[in-house]
Amino acid sequence: MAWPAEDRRATAVPKDGEPPLLTDEMKKELTEKYFPRYPTRRAVLLPALHMLQHHHGWIPMRALAEVGEFLGISPAEVLDTASFYEEYWLKPKGKYLIQVCRSLACEIYGSKRVTEQIKKKLNVECGETTRDGKFTLVELECLGSCGTAPAMLINDVLFEDLTPQKINQVLDGLPEDAHKFRDPTVDWQ
Amino acid sequence: MAFTEPVLLKRIPQDPSKRKVFWYDDYVATGGYSALKKATTMTGDDITKVVTDSGLRGRGGAGFSTGQKWAFIPKERKGPHYLAVNADESEPGTFKDRYLIDYDPHQLLEGIAITAIATQCDIAYIYIRGEYHRQAKVLERAIAEAYAHEIFGRQGIFGSNTKLECYVHRGAGAYICGEETGLLESLEGKRGWPRNKPPFPAIAGAFGRPTVINNVETLCCVPHLIERGPAWFKTMGTPKSAGPKLYGMSGHVNRPGVYEDELGITLQYSIENLAGGMKGGKYKAAICGGISMGVLGPNELEVKLDFDDVRFRGGCLGLGTAGMIVLNEHTNMVAALRNCVRFYAHESCGQCTHCREGSAWMHKILSRILDGGGRASDLDMLLELEKTQGIMPGTTICGFADGTAWATRTFINKFYEEFAALCPEEPRVQLTIRRGTQNVAVPMGSNTR
Repeated sequence: MAWPAEDRRATAVPKDGEPPLLTDEMKKELTEKYFPRYPTRRAVLLPALHMLQHHHGWIPMRALAEVGEFLGISPAEVLDTASFYEEYWLKPKGKYLIQVCRSLACEIYGSKRVTEQIKKKLNVECGETTRDGKFTLVELECLGSCGTAPAMLINDVLFEDLTPQKINQVLDGLPEDAHKFRDPTVDWQ
Repeated sequence: MAFTEPVLLKRIPQDPSKRKVFWYDDYVATGGYSALKKATTMTGDDITKVVTDSGLRGRGGAGFSTGQKWAFIPKERKGPHYLAVNADESEPGTFKDRYLIDYDPHQLLEGIAITAIATQCDIAYIYIRGEYHRQAKVLERAIAEAYAHEIFGRQGIFGSNTKLECYVHRGAGAYICGEETGLLESLEGKRGWPRNKPPFPAIAGAFGRPTVINNVETLCCVPHLIERGPAWFKTMGTPKSAGPKLYGMSGHVNRPGVYEDELGITLQYSIENLAGGMKGGKYKAAICGGISMGVLGPNELEVKLDFDDVRFRGGCLGLGTAGMIVLNEHTNMVAALRNCVRFYAHESCGQCTHCREGSAWMHKILSRILDGGGRASDLDMLLELEKTQGIMPGTTICGFADGTAWATRTFINKFYEEFAALCPEEPRVQLTIRRGTQNVAVPMGSNTR
């Protein structure tokens, strides 16, 4: 990933006086579960960002500042790390993030057709969010399912061996509340 | 040379409908953790010696001797040692570690525990890529089970002196974190920028302490080695590349999937016998170990898939991860290379100029060639660009750019006609632009100002 090039000043930072985005519960979990795992506080940054993204759907600027304060590092350092990783969204995204694999094995099995079909169905381009804020569509590199290509990842759940019927079926079957959308093969949680 | 029964895939049948996750009870019932019990009675040096004698080479791509790597860890302890398990499997074509974690997580945990005894590690971090959500959950549960059964935790492994903690650390979608020092940076909560070496991770790795970094498949080999010994291990494979290997077959084959066989089978054998033959046309090319290793051409069906033959006879960078994408005769090789180079242009961490700029230029040039604006000088330019990239010419910190270089080099050299056909002396597509009051035809891609 190359350097981030968008204009950061345009990102709206929520005003003071609002409830913190890094809540006390999150801080408690980080302190009890994650701090003992690593010799430095900074190493907890990735888990903390994962946690924020899971709760809010994306990571607002103010949350970055709060994490920096909590871990004792500057907001710039938090941004430095957060902006490097593709999985952290520093701008809002839809409730469902559809990531279509575009690497070689998937491409020869028609990942372009998969993307086209979803684009048409949701009426968005790659990188865009639908008007109702439900879906965001992106393409990404290898998902590690080259043997079962083409594949896409919707939030936490991987869908393989995609066909046009299967794509329609999956997209139509998504629940309204994204937190109720679970991987059916993870049956122990 | 004899490969008689599955080793790493012992608990993972080929038929997807019969696969299930082997949790602790199932794992122990099928002979699991007996190697670890044996290892607790051995000294660290003994274990390292077994691994060195077996000739086990790292399955993550570089093929470095695992026993030697462990021996680099200082014997004198001045603080904690760490074990970083590389489960950041993001190379296109590679999906073997996912299977191992998906269905047999305890095999990996057993390997981790034995490695910790050998190298005196205190904490093992399993660095798993962010997109592997299910696999991270499988590991979390398996680790919780292992804690409950006194493998990890303060009481020591089965009550022995070695105390080991084990945690899952999730990455966040950056291919470069699979590079070992990039992984360490990411583990420390920074951007995954690879470090300059030396110091090597065995001396100053995670948090400045000695660190062992091994691939998932390598560690999964370790319990079997301890149980059955180096002599058994050497009955498989070739003299310099011993043992079983997972081959991830994908692309134009009838039965894509992960297959296990010994090292040193031929490409022909892997396509015909493992993956059920070609689909949709005759064989044309195969990417032999993830796209970074380059491509094997039409005359190279007899190349042996081990760590050396692919390099010397096949002209590739190495076996890599043995994640193979097989391509049939109808594949457009220029488009295939464009796809590979786009991957590098997208995933370059941006630290070294040659890699960051070079891969982006290559992507632009290849896209233009595919759009019909190819020129004869483009191929020379691409070959010149690839020569300046990587640790071999010494222009970059890590081996990422070598992957770009070898993919480009092997694709263009082995399929030169196909590229040359799209790159004539005079470009095929001319653009008409208005210069002053006149319409002028200019070659596509030239400076039109």
